[in-house]
Amino acid sequence: MSHDTKQRGRLSRRRVLRGAAMGGAVALGLPLLEAMLPRRSALAEAAASEPIFGVFFWANGLPWHAAHGEMQAQGGYPDLWTPAQTGLGFTPSELMTPLAAHPFSVITGLEPHTDVPDEPPGQSDGHMRGFMVTMTGDRIRPDGFDHPSHTLTALRPTLDQYVANHDAFYADLPRFRSLVLGVSPARFHDYGHWNAISYNGPDSLNPPLMNPVQLHSLLFDVPDDLVAVGRRARLLDAVMDDANSLRAELGSVDRQRLEAHLEHMAEIQRRLELSSGTCDLAPPVPADTGDLLLKTEIMAELLAVALQCGLTRVFSFMLTSPATTHVFQNLGVVNDMHAVCHAGEWNQIKSVSEYQLQAFGRFLDKLAASVDPMGDSVLDRAVIFGTSEYGEGWQHSVKETPVVLAGRGGALLPGVHAREPGGNISKAHVTMLRAVGLTTPTFGWNGGETSEQFDALLGG
Amino acid sequence: MYIHPLDHGARPGWRVLAPLALLLASACYQGGATLDADDTTGATASDAGDAGGSSDADATGDDDDDDDDAEPPPAFKPGVPVMPRLTRAQYLSSIEALLGPELPAPPTEPDTNPYLFYNIGAASTTLSELGAQQYEEAADQLSAAVFADAARREALVGCAPASPTDECVAGFLAAFGRRVYRRPLTEVEQQRWLGFADELAAGDAWQGLRYVVAGMLQSPYFLYRVERGEPDPVDPSRRRYTSWEMASRVSFLLWNQGPDDELLDAAASGALLTDEGLRAQAERMLADERARAAVQGFFAQYLDLARLDGVTRDPERYPLYTPALIEAMRTELELLVDDFVHRRDADIRGIFSTRHTFVNDELAALYEVEAEGASPVTFVPAELPEDGVRAGLLTLGAFLTMNAHETYNSPTARGKYVRERVLCEVIPAPPADVDLDLDPEDAGEGTLRDKLEAHRENPVCASCHQYIDPPGFLFEHFDPIGAYRTLDNGLPIDASGALDGTELADARALAELLKSDERVGECIATQLYRHASGRREVLSEKPGLDAIHEGFAESGFRFNALLITLITSEAFRTVADEEVLP
Repeated sequence: MSHDTKQRGRLSRRRVLRGAAMGGAVALGLPLLEAMLPRRSALAEAAASEPIFGVFFWANGLPWHAAHGEMQAQGGYPDLWTPAQTGLGFTPSELMTPLAAHPFSVITGLEPHTDVPDEPPGQSDGHMRGFMVTMTGDRIRPDGFDHPSHTLTALRPTLDQYVANHDAFYADLPRFRSLVLGVSPARFHDYGHWNAISYNGPDSLNPPLMNPVQLHSLLFDVPDDLVAVGRRARLLDAVMDDANSLRAELGSVDRQRLEAHLEHMAEIQRRLELSSGTCDLAPPVPADTGDLLLKTEIMAELLAVALQCGLTRVFSFMLTSPATTHVFQNLGVVNDMHAVCHAGEWNQIKSVSEYQLQAFGRFLDKLAASVDPMGDSVLDRAVIFGTSEYGEGWQHSVKETPVVLAGRGGALLPGVHAREPGGNISKAHVTMLRAVGLTTPTFGWNGGETSEQFDALLGG
Repeated sequence: MYIHPLDHGARPGWRVLAPLALLLASACYQGGATLDADDTTGATASDAGDAGGSSDADATGDDDDDDDDAEPPPAFKPGVPVMPRLTRAQYLSSIEALLGPELPAPPTEPDTNPYLFYNIGAASTTLSELGAQQYEEAADQLSAAVFADAARREALVGCAPASPTDECVAGFLAAFGRRVYRRPLTEVEQQRWLGFADELAAGDAWQGLRYVVAGMLQSPYFLYRVERGEPDPVDPSRRRYTSWEMASRVSFLLWNQGPDDELLDAAASGALLTDEGLRAQAERMLADERARAAVQGFFAQYLDLARLDGVTRDPERYPLYTPALIEAMRTELELLVDDFVHRRDADIRGIFSTRHTFVNDELAALYEVEAEGASPVTFVPAELPEDGVRAGLLTLGAFLTMNAHETYNSPTARGKYVRERVLCEVIPAPPADVDLDLDPEDAGEGTLRDKLEAHRENPVCASCHQYIDPPGFLFEHFDPIGAYRTLDNGLPIDASGALDGTELADARALAELLKSDERVGECIATQLYRHASGRREVLSEKPGLDAIHEGFAESGFRFNALLITLITSEAFRTVADEEVLP
């Protein structure tokens, strides 16, 4: 494969720091490194040695593949996803071509292992079960689930929020615990909640920011009148006094909702009071666009700067939402993607999948192009979980869920294909969480628990 | 699985539906689900984010599978309180009412619409961190804009403060606070804000006020509707909404924003605890322009018109299609609703059978009707021909388009809409392992209807689709943009169908049938109740809803009368006592 799967030839600062911490490499001490990094803030400095965790999500899986071996044996549709070889140095498959310029590993064959309660019915729906288990390690919340109206919620946080709020992840809190971004606003209309992929817990969604101008403002518009900012922070004390007196009037569910709001206010207050932790690499304000590839690049570029500046170390990036109704007219696909999956239009699904993975590739391009003075790119420091809601869209099968781990951050080893047909998707979760340094004795719930990892992907 | 939370042996149609519902339950899902009133109640309450909803289950009984109506009806028991956050529309219109027009519309958390309604999403979801930050930034920007303009700030405050805590400031805080909190400030709150006005003034009283306005606009008492009730003097087992809370409930229902001073004065006098007081205020508010917008908001959600957002068609394939045509379809329904509700105050069920509509030039071309004076931006009244193919909302562009795919029809989506949206029934989704491979784009022979026959030949499919497809086939003469057609895939179209066993020749016949189908009116009233209360009803509220249905029927199904019936109903004015944690 084209990317370097061996030891990198150059000495990354991360490795130097790690070596220094272990008692070696003292000859390359910190003063020299600091001298080489005049533009960094202290926070960015500290963050630069720490891994980045992200999720890149695309909708409706892949064209059908290995799980349908019977059909393929009959001369049907080839598996374009699963690489032929396993282990280190595999050759990326046809659909992985857009990723091939970058460090990445892939795990194939995985699926949810969570139990599916009989009641309320419909919890085995591939979109819903696949999405929830892939993103949270747990099943849909059965309580309140209503398939006919497509009403569902998560039992626990999605991986981005699990990491962002994990006690062991941030030694020093950056400006943002996480950024939640998206590209396509198309959604499956019957899903009241489904224009987002990031949950904090039940009925607590983080709607993605999809407007590049708003994202730019969020990241870089820090008011320069510090006195006024201080007054806004102080004002939040009054608002929180109000919220606390309301809190005493409420029953349990509404109290939890209000307490979450209170926590947000405290976080906003902290951000307002944060005189450092801003970024002087701000790019020009971009324009919005309806072109998915172009918009992916614009959003990814802003994200890359934010990561480079240490404004955050966690993100999720939703290219398209679960069961998307996005119409890929630019590819000659005239019906919406979800309908095209159901209709079994293999060639159209193939071209849409290629396009979505092309967007993933462009996204990684931007993160790889954001390089610090030591030569480390944002992607070098990252573990990015590339995934979808299920394996393939035609039958909404949750078998063979795509799992890409891009980057070479933390302990992640790129260039490896691990395959385990019927394996538990939470084994991949354990692997990526340990890669970014979270101990993770087990992950997964309600039948999906596991303590196992994919050894071949860890070691760095 | 259930068909309708309130359909438990109460009306004749249920006898027809019950065997079918049981069939669906056993055939659509392997789990062997059965109708279970207790489960239904519990799920309904928890869906809306309520705690303790299951306590209502004992009132539901367990005889819903029987045709036995002998039991006395259970007593009405109200549902538990919910705390909706303001929807985006409510936030923006409340801001305008408080601060005046022509302010920027800052970004806020997007709404969600579980069970169709933004109010239900607003009552059941938790605000995100970004959403909280957007409220902070919006409040700062809006108050800065108002106070930067000398004329504007004086108009808002009504006096010129000489010092940060003088009578002008204190008086403004009390008056403005009452509008923002939708009740008078407590003494603690008044003193708190006065203290902040002083502290943040830094010598400039106007600046102190600007910050306090920004602070109040972030208060949870503004951003959430806190309606918990007070002990009900006539029934200690439940609570009634306070006069102030009733002002809020009426105002968000009729104006989709917080109460004005006149309504708050009525609340202060206790008038909103009486039928007459509520009726007088409701009638005043219904006559106001703001009620028109609020009613449109309800209808757009009840009719699921957000599904028109982002609809596109290939102009090569559909020469009549333009993006403006889709918007015209939406406008047509708004004009139709306005005509039925505000201009004529007519039987609202008529929207499903009317031959009177409003078209611009594009819609006139689509419907092939005369429309003198119509232009791209001018809509004119139009009569659909008596011997024509169209009558009622279900033959108009919006319904036909949003329930079709880009290049082919979906009798299933159209039939499902008739069942779910028009009749308020619930269709189970297909089991996950069902083979959904149906490819109407394939070059295969036959009409779409022919291909969908698989739904009836396969018993697993048929168990649900025999219920959905027959009304959906009635619209086969209308293509994916709602244009009339006589051929599908080169073959003549058969647009016959059925509803609940009644054979129907076409969509016009369905429109006739719907005129006398009592589910239509009940559905409108039930959906309005969900919208108004921010949650789905629980079974113990059935007697209260029955009373609203009856009042609606007695009024001749006039929507304005329904609003007043609902506002003065027991169900809208009382609430269960919810345990407050220590």
